[in-house]
Amino acid sequence: MTRINKQKPGKIVKPGEDFEPWESHNPVPLPVIWIAVALGIWGTALLLQEQDSKVVAQAEREAGEAAAHDAAEGGAALFLANCSTCHQPNGAGVRLAVPPLQDSEFAKAGPGVVAQILLRGIDGPIRVKGFTYDGHMPSFAEALDDAEVAQLASYVGARFGGGETVLAPAEVAQLRMTHSGSGSWQGGAELASLVADLPPQPPMPATAEAGLDPAISDLIFAGKGDVWSCASCHGGLGQGAENTPRLAGLSQGYITKQLHDFRQGERHNEHMSFVAKGLDDAEIDGLAAYYAGLRVDSTAQPALGGDLARGEQIALQGDWGLGVPACFSCHGPSGFGVGAEFPALAAQQPAYVASQLAAWAGGHRNNSPLGLMDRISEALPEADRRAVSDYLASLPAVPAPEPQAMARIEGGEDEL
Amino acid sequence: MSSEHHDDAGQGRSAKRLIFAAGGGLALVAIGALMLEAGWVPGWISGRAPAPDVAESAYFQPPSEAEIPDGPFGEAVKRGRDIFMNTSTNAGDYVGNGLTCANCHLDGGRQPMSAPMWAAYGRYPMYRAKNDQINTMEDRVMGCFTFSMNAQHSVAGGPPPHGSDIYRDLESYFYWLATGAPTNVLMEGSGFGKVAKTELGYSPERGEQVFAANCAVCHGPDGQGQTDANGRIVFPPLWGPNSYNWGAGMARIDTAAAFVKNNMPLSQPGKLTDQEAWDVAAYIDSHERPKDARQGEMTVEQTRQRFHDGDETYYGQQVNGALLGVGTPGPERPVGAPELPIGPTPLE
Repeated sequence: MTRINKQKPGKIVKPGEDFEPWESHNPVPLPVIWIAVALGIWGTALLLQEQDSKVVAQAEREAGEAAAHDAAEGGAALFLANCSTCHQPNGAGVRLAVPPLQDSEFAKAGPGVVAQILLRGIDGPIRVKGFTYDGHMPSFAEALDDAEVAQLASYVGARFGGGETVLAPAEVAQLRMTHSGSGSWQGGAELASLVADLPPQPPMPATAEAGLDPAISDLIFAGKGDVWSCASCHGGLGQGAENTPRLAGLSQGYITKQLHDFRQGERHNEHMSFVAKGLDDAEIDGLAAYYAGLRVDSTAQPALGGDLARGEQIALQGDWGLGVPACFSCHGPSGFGVGAEFPALAAQQPAYVASQLAAWAGGHRNNSPLGLMDRISEALPEADRRAVSDYLASLPAVPAPEPQAMARIEGGEDEL
Repeated sequence: MSSEHHDDAGQGRSAKRLIFAAGGGLALVAIGALMLEAGWVPGWISGRAPAPDVAESAYFQPPSEAEIPDGPFGEAVKRGRDIFMNTSTNAGDYVGNGLTCANCHLDGGRQPMSAPMWAAYGRYPMYRAKNDQINTMEDRVMGCFTFSMNAQHSVAGGPPPHGSDIYRDLESYFYWLATGAPTNVLMEGSGFGKVAKTELGYSPERGEQVFAANCAVCHGPDGQGQTDANGRIVFPPLWGPNSYNWGAGMARIDTAAAFVKNNMPLSQPGKLTDQEAWDVAAYIDSHERPKDARQGEMTVEQTRQRFHDGDETYYGQQVNGALLGVGTPGPERPVGAPELPIGPTPLE
């Protein structure tokens, strides 16, 4: 601490030639040391606590997994985790929306057929037990390995179809090879080739042969002027990565609204504001339509160390004690999204979801209708936000209704 | 020499300072910790979520799903829960619209002020003026199917018959939710609560504005709700042929106002003022919906006199030049009836 000789106010004293600045030996004030010591103790305590809770969380997770494994082994557990949000725990489906599995013609056809449906998903009308459903089922090819598909298909075939055939993982591997790159089953009409004695299936509606406008294709893959391409950040198939969201399968209305919000400053992101300001309305509509129709397997994986069981609870049931309803009560019962305001959540990149929840909680994102997400994000503790982000990343991707001509974009595949 | 002496004194001083410093630091930590524990530190500093109101409140806490017991009773509870959550599938023959129990009884019948089942279970048998008789829980649930689920347009054409397993399973679920709850006591959080009447009264015209600003984002500008890609209902329709009929409690403006005030918009209960809740309830219940299931051969006016007299309802009144209560057109075939086979129709 340097100080100059105190001077009486009003009296000007010129320092002499031999003036030397001097430093008195002034100790650091005690309160400063108190705070330093307090911070030191607090930091150490926090460090220890953190380590402790990590160990405890790990132990709890392992215990939970073991318990879950014991409670419902193999196929039953896979069924509950992967199938029951749509087909319901009892396999009854949802009237006029999700086909039943119980006694369905397809479950009765045996685990081979079930496995082939699991591997490819369905996109088209299908008739089950006398009712026609507008079938949109995701592919589980990426979410489940050969052994899991074998186990799950055998379980579904036995429980709901009454069969006794057990599928081997090697057979699934074979089926996986056969169907690789075939896209989703085009409704019951195409599945009829697999199942003998199937009652007549509804015809596939004629899909408009709407090719991708070259101008839109340029925006996606090449960029325009100063503006870089969508694919350079969001991936060749809109699958996203890390903090960059997955776009494939988000609704057209939602993408349109977000781009408009970026353009008008209602939603804040340096990169996206710049990009959106370079787009006109027609381009926004074209991009939104393209990404809304993309059916692409998930590339998201739990990555934030979140508690998946807790995440599942928040997504499916909510935590009403915190004032948080189930995510799926608005974003759709399988996280496939609803309308223009409630985007698909399934298979979204977890770092992105967590960052958006944090942005809402901190007041940095505020384009949610009625401030719904602001309020919900504030109510969720940080650990819960990570948990739910990780859980959503574990879900299969949205089974977007895929316009056939648009699906096969040259140059898109190899960038994945 | 003098420097040594100086050092001694300095050492004594620094030792003292050390003690003061450590002591003061410890004291600060202790004070901080105490303040944190006492909850005096605002959430934005501590990073702790504010203690939830519900948990602190006196509301009854039903058991959690994980506590459903094994064995036949637990199986019945689970079946009851499945009916409650997915009524149009698991009791599909008796549901003439797309609604489920859980559309109005939020959080699977657990949410206080959303007619929670743990509060309802111990209140029956009860006398109800609605049908002028003692109602068991089975009678009460039968009423739900008849009016809220509009069973008249279902495959069966009416509610599940007395003694149906549907009632057994649903009552098992309610009974289990009410584990530890008192009998014959009006519990805190039961029903939908009440909204005090306002000086202005209620007005569908004002309610239309409230609806557009607060409800349309989920229930749609036309009130017909929204579905997901598979056609599964996510936001239920509030009027029209796929909603509750004129005999339902929710068709009364005071009941709907209380539900809205205490539960809507989802995640923001209490957002609307009492006035807004009344107005928007009036707007919702000034639209046509399926006819009152009790009407039978009676006229709307006779039905109004017999069943709706003195109620806060537009039933039997002229609104915008049309008589309300005549009902929406019935479906061509019962809701949920199997479709005709696909393919060429056999030659006669």
